[in-house]
Amino acid sequence: MFDQQLANGIFLGAVYALFAVGYTLIFGVLDILNLAHSAIFMASSFVALALVRHGMPFWAAFLVATAFGGALSVVLDRVAFAPLRARGVGGGALGPLISSIAFGIIVVSVVRGIFGPDEVGYPTGAVLSANLHLGHATFTAIDLSVLVISLVMMILLSMLLKVTPLGRAIRAVAENTKAASLLGIDVERTIGLTFLIAGALGAAAGILIGAQFNAVGILMGQRIELKGLAVIILGGMGSIPGAVLGGFLLGLLEVFSVAYLSSSYRDAIAFAVMFLILIVRPAGLLGKRAARTA
Amino acid sequence: MRNMTRVLIAAAALGGTLAAATGAGLAASHPDLKWTAIFDATGPAGAYGTSQKNATELAQADIDAGKIDAGGQKISIDVQDSATSPAQVINIMQSAFGSGTSLIIGPTLSSEAFKSDPLAVKANISVLGVSNTASGIPAMGPCVFRNSLSEAQIVPDVIEAAKKAWHVKTAAIIYGDDDQFTKADYTIFNAELPKAGVKVVDVETFHKGDVDFKAQLTKIKEAKPDVVVYGALYAEGAKLLAQARQVGLNAHEIGGNGFNSPQIIALAGKAAQGVIVGAAWYSGAETNGNAAFVKNYTAKYAKSPDQFAAQAYAGAQIAAAAVKKSHPSDAAGMCSALKELGSVQTVIGPFKFASTRDADAHGFIVQIKNGTFAKFGD
Amino acid sequence: MEWLVHFYALHSKLIDQIGINAIFALSLSLTLQAGHLALANAAFGGIAAYVASLLSLSRGWPLSVTTLIGAAAAAAVGAVIGLPVTRLRGVFLAIATIGFGEIALIVENNLSITGGAEGLSQIPNETTTWKIYLVLAILAFFFWRLRRTRAGWAIAAVREDEYAAASFGIDPARVKFWTFVGSAAIAGIAGSLYAHENFFISPGDWGFSRMIDILVYCVIGGAASPWGAMLGAAIISLLPEVFRFLHDYRDIVNGIVLLAVVIFAPQGIAGLWSRDQRGRKAAAAAEGQSR
Repeated sequence: MFDQQLANGIFLGAVYALFAVGYTLIFGVLDILNLAHSAIFMASSFVALALVRHGMPFWAAFLVATAFGGALSVVLDRVAFAPLRARGVGGGALGPLISSIAFGIIVVSVVRGIFGPDEVGYPTGAVLSANLHLGHATFTAIDLSVLVISLVMMILLSMLLKVTPLGRAIRAVAENTKAASLLGIDVERTIGLTFLIAGALGAAAGILIGAQFNAVGILMGQRIELKGLAVIILGGMGSIPGAVLGGFLLGLLEVFSVAYLSSSYRDAIAFAVMFLILIVRPAGLLGKRAARTA
Repeated sequence: MRNMTRVLIAAAALGGTLAAATGAGLAASHPDLKWTAIFDATGPAGAYGTSQKNATELAQADIDAGKIDAGGQKISIDVQDSATSPAQVINIMQSAFGSGTSLIIGPTLSSEAFKSDPLAVKANISVLGVSNTASGIPAMGPCVFRNSLSEAQIVPDVIEAAKKAWHVKTAAIIYGDDDQFTKADYTIFNAELPKAGVKVVDVETFHKGDVDFKAQLTKIKEAKPDVVVYGALYAEGAKLLAQARQVGLNAHEIGGNGFNSPQIIALAGKAAQGVIVGAAWYSGAETNGNAAFVKNYTAKYAKSPDQFAAQAYAGAQIAAAAVKKSHPSDAAGMCSALKELGSVQTVIGPFKFASTRDADAHGFIVQIKNGTFAKFGD
Repeated sequence: MEWLVHFYALHSKLIDQIGINAIFALSLSLTLQAGHLALANAAFGGIAAYVASLLSLSRGWPLSVTTLIGAAAAAAVGAVIGLPVTRLRGVFLAIATIGFGEIALIVENNLSITGGAEGLSQIPNETTTWKIYLVLAILAFFFWRLRRTRAGWAIAAVREDEYAAASFGIDPARVKFWTFVGSAAIAGIAGSLYAHENFFISPGDWGFSRMIDILVYCVIGGAASPWGAMLGAAIISLLPEVFRFLHDYRDIVNGIVLLAVVIFAPQGIAGLWSRDQRGRKAAAAAEGQSR
């Protein structure tokens, strides 16, 4: 049983990591909780499914829907966040938090209007679902692809942030917008590109998770949205490797709490860990920024 | 031709207004009966409420066309969306009282019914629940009825059938512990299984919206039960079935009421093969008018009806039959008409109310076979 | 007059909902006035609702007593949680309190005394419109007076600038802690009134979506003003009923209205009015100078 549970934990962790990478990017750069991220995650998953149903191969649908997610995320920024930035609205995270909720409501209602309220799946054979065996553990091919893709995304995104000019610009904006603009960085463009990347990542997560569990529905983002918070806090706000590490830790923690404790308190354990991390080590495992007031 | 109709409608409307203005004496002989249906067509329960809304609108068309016989009485059902918000259920209900409704059909969830039905009781308006399965719903008032079977009415038969066919001695239960509907599956199976001599060897839980159940299923596999009982709605249920295959859990399987949905077959595919479900209705049931209902519903909404749809349609059939029999003209009349109804043929089978105003009907034990629900044992 | 009676008969529950939601909004506005974003009010409402309902059911005590005990229980839990979390800044406090809210839900789902997901039914229907609005009036008076007290001044000072406040001898940590506890108590009152209004409660009544509703009341009305919070609660509670005629488009319009208010009236609807005032005063002052 241990082997299987270990595998269960790692693959669940990959799902969390995949969702959290884009989520933490916005959080790290703009210090706002983007509650529309889960709506983009969900909408892109529907777009991919619709394309597959119209006969497009999965990989092509994946690319198109990922681009769609990135574009929708830019629209989100222009509609819900940019006007607030332009006004220099203070009030902590409140305004952007609410405008992201409002944007999320609109996206969810439009998607429901087009695709209906039911949860739907991929046509048989559209997605790799062969069982693989390793030791005493069983998992599917798509489980494995989610794992590989989340690791690859983490590495690519970390490199992008470290070595490219865009990455440097993003980090400068994250540190201090005013200083960044004094350094000659086009802050609005940088933020726009950050949203593009985060949206595409969120979309990729939504498409893969929808395919992995063969379930695409308008509520699919709601639960993972809160779990995703636990992941980015655990890993450290804004830290990409942290989000991945946090994802795997949470996945393992949940699975082993079911295996050796009780499934009733599985989610409570996830949120309790998040709560404790905030109190004991608010910067998370790999984060650097202070969560407390000085 | 169309202009003519318009003129006639305008004349009728004018006439109606005049009659109302002059004391409504003339129109009182056969006034339209107004019913209000309150369903969660949007929000988290939208998948179920939409089925109910669709079926009720279909029933309205069938009443108008005389396919559902209400004894010539005109009935208009006002279908409202309560968006999975108890506050909206309450507001719709209260407004309906003021507009002369004589029957409330709904609401979708038991938790909403517990909050809103007492208002109808106070206002002396009848309520007909078509999906509330929690115990204690009709006990709220003398005019609160339901046609939905509670799990307690089906589960003992399901366990008997499973014992007979599969000789099961041990069982594991996995259920959603944050939903009234799925929690009820646990409560009843956990009480009834030991009574039938089946030992419960493991109980696991999950939350609404969870997608990964492999940890719980792996644990259940270790406990080696003869049968696994799933207390889940279709969204979680389909994933449970698929993942049970994946972790190599090869026990017999029983699904709770929530498994009685075409969606579970559509989503789980082959993984759903062999599951038995205790159901109030299934699409292949050879009940009166069921084939036509399934055909018309599928034609109108481009998807197959589920149990929520069938029970909502049956609700309209039952209330219409009560109207045909007793010719009620107001809410009080509607209540006694439902009480005096006796037995009636519906899409969910022959139906009558028990003295407790609960459904006195038999469920079906069905098995998923080759992508469809079939009578278990056939 | 007859029209009024008729109107009340048709909409009394909506009127009650507005009042209870306004109390929830006031509870959140207390922490917002001190400039921190704590999102546990729904959870505190739930804790008080369970405590008060269980007392009504088992002891038959009157609403005033059960509500006070419920609110005290919420405040006590608020104090325990508040000590560590009120030291967190901005969005971290929000996340910690969201986490607490989720844990509270899971506990309510798993305890047998709460009835788990099957909920608590047959709660005595003791809440009435006048009781709700009496509580609301008392709270509104409290908030109005608060502004003129030292405590109120300290709250405003912490909101504007914690460092400056500290230099005036105000302890921002203390202000944040006590507003958090007070907010929990007020949310508790609202929770108990809700439970005794609706015959039935279950954990689903106190989830993240209710918290978001409460937050929306405050933001729509005006985050830092108790009047705005109450106004926002009234508007948002009415919105779904007013837009009922839109059928399938209702949610989209709700979302657009919300987005428009945040973007075009960042200080909320109450802020539109007061900014006008300030603008007029500023204009008047400028005019005076130019003369």
